[in-house]
Amino acid sequence: MDFFTPIVDDPYDFGRIAAANALSDVYAMGGIPRTAMNIVAYPIKSMGREPLREILAGGAAVLKEADTVLLGGHSVEDEELKYGLSVTGFVHPEKILTNQGLCAGDCLVLTKPLGTGIINTAIKGGLASNKTIRRVTDLMATLNRQAAEIMAGFKVSACTDITGFGLLGHIAEMICGTDKGVTIESDKVPVMVEADEFGSMGFVPVGAHKNREFRKEMVLAPADFNPVLRDILFDPQTSGGLLIGCMEKDASALVQRLHGEGIEEAAVIGFVTESNKNKIQLL
Amino acid sequence: MGKTIDACGLTCPAPVLLVKDVVEKTNEQEIAVLVDNEASLENVTRFLVSRGYSVTDNQEGEVFRIEARCDQNGSGVNAGKAQKTEENREEASSRKILVMVASDCFGSGDDVLGEKLMISYLKTIKEMGSDLWQIIFVNGGVKLTTESSPVLEELQEYEKTGVIIFACGTCLEHFDLTANKKVGGTTNMLDIVTATQLADKVITIS
Repeated sequence: MDFFTPIVDDPYDFGRIAAANALSDVYAMGGIPRTAMNIVAYPIKSMGREPLREILAGGAAVLKEADTVLLGGHSVEDEELKYGLSVTGFVHPEKILTNQGLCAGDCLVLTKPLGTGIINTAIKGGLASNKTIRRVTDLMATLNRQAAEIMAGFKVSACTDITGFGLLGHIAEMICGTDKGVTIESDKVPVMVEADEFGSMGFVPVGAHKNREFRKEMVLAPADFNPVLRDILFDPQTSGGLLIGCMEKDASALVQRLHGEGIEEAAVIGFVTESNKNKIQLL
Repeated sequence: MGKTIDACGLTCPAPVLLVKDVVEKTNEQEIAVLVDNEASLENVTRFLVSRGYSVTDNQEGEVFRIEARCDQNGSGVNAGKAQKTEENREEASSRKILVMVASDCFGSGDDVLGEKLMISYLKTIKEMGSDLWQIIFVNGGVKLTTESSPVLEELQEYEKTGVIIFACGTCLEHFDLTANKKVGGTTNMLDIVTATQLADKVITIS
């Protein structure tokens, strides 16, 4: 279950993004979403019916794309608009993927570029162009379905979807309390160009600072590591991509398949190590 | 010290926007900014540096005081300029105008005149500036996106500056021009319907 306040102005797009975001957890667990229920908090008196209709239409369109049936839902009147879904999916008990289970030598594959938190902050500040808004909207509304289906053809040790904790926050969860470390090759991490631009101008959301502060003990980086890139690596993502742990020998084939199906920015971004236990080394 | 901006109690991106406003409107050489959290401290510092200021800060109790001084013309001016173009576009981007071109001929009466008018219209359309969001070509209009189009260069130029250009796929097929399209993407009726719904203003030329 996942719901949040609007991150884009367009109600239909907000609905699409909220649905893609809610469905993502099921995909990250190797499951197939089947049914969903809407969760709505809505200021009907001040906003009227039309935006709500559009939000629900956007959500329904993405559910349809996910072959997931909308069973119903619940709405309450609220001063602040919120929308999301509760999603139920199926997965064979032996094929459930979690964020635990990375093995030393595994490669980490990321399927969407980072930067939605920073760009959404710039949108709030009225700085992003229509073109940027469109691009980040489409990115957030893109389902992780295809990536999950491709992933199912490989032996995957662990998987998670990148959301509020940012890339490094989610990696920290994957290795926290284990005897493994992770090395990230920063120059290979896919990043939206605008995130770099707006990050350099100081449009970094509070969440990125909090994520970084929370995990600072776990992250090792050279002294001259680019501070903007570091913030991007901690940038909270809305409906981010999958982070997939797989055997090194499979990694390039997995990325090739992803590219072949139009997930063009997928990349191997790092690997799991026996050394640096419980640490994330940034290169 | 010049102007002091109190951004205490504000969360991102508000402090940066406040400072941005002052920097752009008053062109102050020296600015002091007060913030009450580390995230704002970093963001405001980063913003001022990106605009060519040299920045120092110190903590006074709960409050951070950021002092910025504009460096001598060098890098600062350039950094400011680099962001200017993108921003002008963005600030003016409050409206989204969609132009639907449904023919290769502007109006009815005389087709030779109509073709000339259409060429002139599409060459002049750039005057809409950054409000111009999308141009969609349908029916006979798709001919204007092919290699024999008299406005091909102009359309390619618009696309480079960020205008979204689409030609209707069914229409291209109908005229057997699918392979000849030289500018823009191919679109379908669902996307056309969505685009007309999203646009703030739709202008149809037929």
